[in-house]
Amino acid sequence: MVPSSYYLVLSAVLFGLGVVAFVFKRNIITIFMSIELMLNAVNLAFVTFSQHLGKLNGQVFVFFVIVVAAAEAAVGLAIIILIAKHRQSLNVERVDLLKL
Amino acid sequence: MANEGYLLSVVTFLPLLGSLGLLALRGDDHTWIRRLALATALANFVLSLLLLHGFAAGTPGYQLEELRPWIHWPPINYHLGVDGLSLWLVILTTFLTPIAILCSWESIGHRVKEFFLMLLVLETGMIGVFLSLDLILFFVFWEVMLVPMYFLIGIWGHERRIYAAIKFVLYTMAGSVLMLVAILWLFGLSGASVPGGTFDLPTIQVLLQNGKLQLPHTTELLLFGAFFLAFAIKVPLFPLHTWLPDAHVEAPTAGSVILAGVLLKMGTYGLLRFCLPLFPAASKELAPWVAVLAMIGIVYGALVSMVQPDLKKLIAYSSVSHLGFVVLGIFSFHPVAIQGAIYQMLNHGISTGALFLIAGMLYDRRHTHLIKEFGGLATPMPALSAFFLFVCLSSLGLPMLNGFVGEFLILLGTYQVNKLWATFGALGVILAAVYLLWAYQRVAFGEVTVEKNRVLPDCSPRERLILWPLCVMILWMGIGSPVFLSRTETASQQVIEQMKRPQMPALAGTRGAVPQLRDAPAGAESATAVQQGAGPK
Amino acid sequence: MFPPIQDIYRIAPELVACLFGMLIMVADPFVPRERKGAMGRLGLAGALGALVAVELMSRHAGAAMNGLLVVDSFSVFLHMIIYGAASLVVLASYDYLERENLQQGEFYALLFFATCGMGIMASATELMTVFVGLEISSIASYILACYRRAALKSHESAMKYFLLGSFATAFFLYGVAMVYGATGTTSLVAIRAAAAHATDHHMLLTLGFGMLFVGMAFKIAAAPFQVWTPDVYEGAPTPVTALLASGPKAAAFAVLLRIVFTAFGDASSTWFWIVWISAALTMVVGNFAAVAQSNVKRMLAYSSIAHAGYLLVAVAAAGAAGEESAAGIAAVLFYLVAYALMKVGAFTIVSHLGGSGEQRLEIDDYAGLSTRQPTTAACLALYLLSLLGLPLTAGFLGKVYIFQAALDAKLIWLVVIMAVTTVVGAFYYLRVIWVMYFREAQQDWTPAPVAPGVAAVMFLTAAGILALFFFPGPLMTFAAHSALSLR
Repeated sequence: MVPSSYYLVLSAVLFGLGVVAFVFKRNIITIFMSIELMLNAVNLAFVTFSQHLGKLNGQVFVFFVIVVAAAEAAVGLAIIILIAKHRQSLNVERVDLLKL
Repeated sequence: MANEGYLLSVVTFLPLLGSLGLLALRGDDHTWIRRLALATALANFVLSLLLLHGFAAGTPGYQLEELRPWIHWPPINYHLGVDGLSLWLVILTTFLTPIAILCSWESIGHRVKEFFLMLLVLETGMIGVFLSLDLILFFVFWEVMLVPMYFLIGIWGHERRIYAAIKFVLYTMAGSVLMLVAILWLFGLSGASVPGGTFDLPTIQVLLQNGKLQLPHTTELLLFGAFFLAFAIKVPLFPLHTWLPDAHVEAPTAGSVILAGVLLKMGTYGLLRFCLPLFPAASKELAPWVAVLAMIGIVYGALVSMVQPDLKKLIAYSSVSHLGFVVLGIFSFHPVAIQGAIYQMLNHGISTGALFLIAGMLYDRRHTHLIKEFGGLATPMPALSAFFLFVCLSSLGLPMLNGFVGEFLILLGTYQVNKLWATFGALGVILAAVYLLWAYQRVAFGEVTVEKNRVLPDCSPRERLILWPLCVMILWMGIGSPVFLSRTETASQQVIEQMKRPQMPALAGTRGAVPQLRDAPAGAESATAVQQGAGPK
Repeated sequence: MFPPIQDIYRIAPELVACLFGMLIMVADPFVPRERKGAMGRLGLAGALGALVAVELMSRHAGAAMNGLLVVDSFSVFLHMIIYGAASLVVLASYDYLERENLQQGEFYALLFFATCGMGIMASATELMTVFVGLEISSIASYILACYRRAALKSHESAMKYFLLGSFATAFFLYGVAMVYGATGTTSLVAIRAAAAHATDHHMLLTLGFGMLFVGMAFKIAAAPFQVWTPDVYEGAPTPVTALLASGPKAAAFAVLLRIVFTAFGDASSTWFWIVWISAALTMVVGNFAAVAQSNVKRMLAYSSIAHAGYLLVAVAAAGAAGEESAAGIAAVLFYLVAYALMKVGAFTIVSHLGGSGEQRLEIDDYAGLSTRQPTTAACLALYLLSLLGLPLTAGFLGKVYIFQAALDAKLIWLVVIMAVTTVVGAFYYLRVIWVMYFREAQQDWTPAPVAPGVAAVMFLTAAGILALFFFPGPLMTFAAHSALSLR
């Protein structure tokens, strides 16, 4: 039996990787994928806690997250396609009309 | 506390009503706009004279009070009242406003409607400041005044008007935001003795006087510092005065008259109304420092005036010097000196207002304020030169004229407290004579050096109409001073009275002697830091 | 299985918003092109209907949907702000959509969906419900930000909003997971009860709160998570900016207040300093960065960051006051109303003056406005003076309440920072006013006449700002009452 803390550590590592990728990657699709990675790290944490506490609702939350993430992906990809069509590039550094 | 009629409200809000009336007029109907504005201001002046009728001289405390609840929580009331301190300042305001309107009769050519609208709104704000007895109400009027003044300087001013307008607002706001914080802090402290706390000035005064509300030493110093900073910027006291020359030089004549005549008085009024009565211990502790700043201001203002090539700037710096004198009188805590300070506030309003008017009249003719552009004006324009001389003499304190009375009283009171202060005060009087007479000499006497000046027209009937009332007042206040002083006497004694705190060993014991001792040096340090922090600005 | 009728009443505003959103979407293809104006009228009807539904909802206080949502005076108050702001935005966008030649139907539908999400956030008492509401409002807002499909800036704004918004949501969710792990529940009331016993999970709980705060700080544009705000506000269509500046901010503050006072009410020491530091940073960053802006929308965006800082001061004050937290919460609520009025009004005027294609957004473009459209200039000046906090405006009383709450809680340094940064604010607000009033117009450009919808927004917001100064009593009583219902 693998202790639940292992899963939590894995989840934290995945989340951390997502954050790092979000900050350092330059391709919009990759950045988007790093967000998905973070969301899945959260899912893992939910399932682990649910298992650990012996309660089912944590696993139900995971479905919520998946559904919402899918909706978000639909909208997000549409926006990314729009950008790609107009600029012929997916590099965030080229998207710089608004000064940061 | 009953409501004693509506007179104060009427006097405060009649100009606002007039400005609403202006809104109804067509924008290009300049004649009627001017007439309506003047009629409103004159009507308000007459109404304000009714205050004299309703005001009982020699009775301490506020009169003609109006008290109505406005906001339930926090409890902000609409509370107006007049006493000897504010009485004449209100009348000074209503007296100078028609004059300011008359002097803008022709010189304001564009956006006439907005100009008179702003002027009338400003009058409401100024009167409100003098009459409010609720701290938040006072603050509301105090800040509201900023907006019309900002526009008056910014739209109708001279070349560098935008710079001057923004500087004026930023200086004033910097002080007043801290004052707002202090007001709210005081409110929180009053919650200890009045359930829910109070913003009502008379109530707080009573609480402080009978010892029900005691301010810890450090707190008192900090509160004093916040209030004092706001007022010192307005006065303006020496290191904080740099907005004043800019604002004066760039403002249109009417703006300068109001600014010098009334707005600067709000600083000294605030010191007398709030700083001294509410925070006597801090006032006394810091009085030497304030006096040093005031003395520097007196000498510095006078010396800078002496070397000014610009007539309007000269008058502006002379204000720094004169008001330093008033502050010195206030912080001597001597009833006679305070009496003199109140009187000198009125004198300065009238004399300096008149000086700015004359500078404005010269500017209307030549479009310059530079002294070297004038010279020998006595030949082409004898009447204006005579007026100018008369006003200069009043401003430098010639006996028989108004300036003398105020200066004499201040010196008399200050001398009994601190001889060095009085010496510096006297020095200021002497220097005033030097720079004013020298300026007058360069403008009016000698040969006509600039050819254009030979054909300048003398005073028009409108200009005479403006200057005569001022000169009559100058003379009357010089020889008929008891009329005025009898009504301010009680107020100045009351300020001293309000500064007294009960000696209650029992209460002091509960607060504890040891922490008090521990508090004191820390408090003194921090308050000095406030002063010095404000210094280099 | 069908929820009782009471529960239907308790989510009535959301239902009305959703129904109208769907109705508009369905009806849109059947309306001929030249009669698309009908969509706007339908949108207005929906917004007013939702406001009526708020009234209906307020008559049925109590928990709904098995404790996922609650109707108390707090949620009614927030609903008023959110749906009020949405109605004003509907009025303001009517003319904008026609001018920019944009699809009318979808715009209102999305606006309703976004508003519905904010409404859910305002009454949610459970973290997953907060998450669902947050996402409903966010997803619709991403599309709205992208609504000017022809404009590159609009895409860019939407992309940044989407990426950073999702990033923040992930943090929020991770926080939810941690709190769930520590307490075994996501219901705010139950968290409070569980936190009192579960002392061994203190670390996890604190970390969870930190993550939740990061998620919310993004939404309210609090430093150091404010970087997206100016870009998104600048690029989004201006009526959408008006909505983004008012609605989501109010909703996010509602969630923040509920989390800190209901779930973490007994543990103010865990969050007090986080809020304190964030408030101080936000005020400084917002005000100083705003000084350097030349674009009106960016300037207003930084000013809204600054205002988030002022609001956080009140939250910190409520936290430091312990049992006496009501004053601080009431100050937040009052300020949110004033803030929504000022921001919606200001952005509406910016949208009106922007002209076709949103070309006139520089502060210098407003030169001489006071002579060309005196009423517009006067209204904008009023909003700016209110944002600055001068008397005669709601902004002044809002600041007074915040100052007072902070002083009562003895947060002297926060008050000093707030006072100083307020003065810095004078620089950039007054700059717009002097450009409008003191400078002569340089180009021969006259702004379009004010459209009826824009005029209505200007009138309502300006009247509201003045009315809240002279008669703050009823609203303040309501706010104080709402604040009490939080504990």
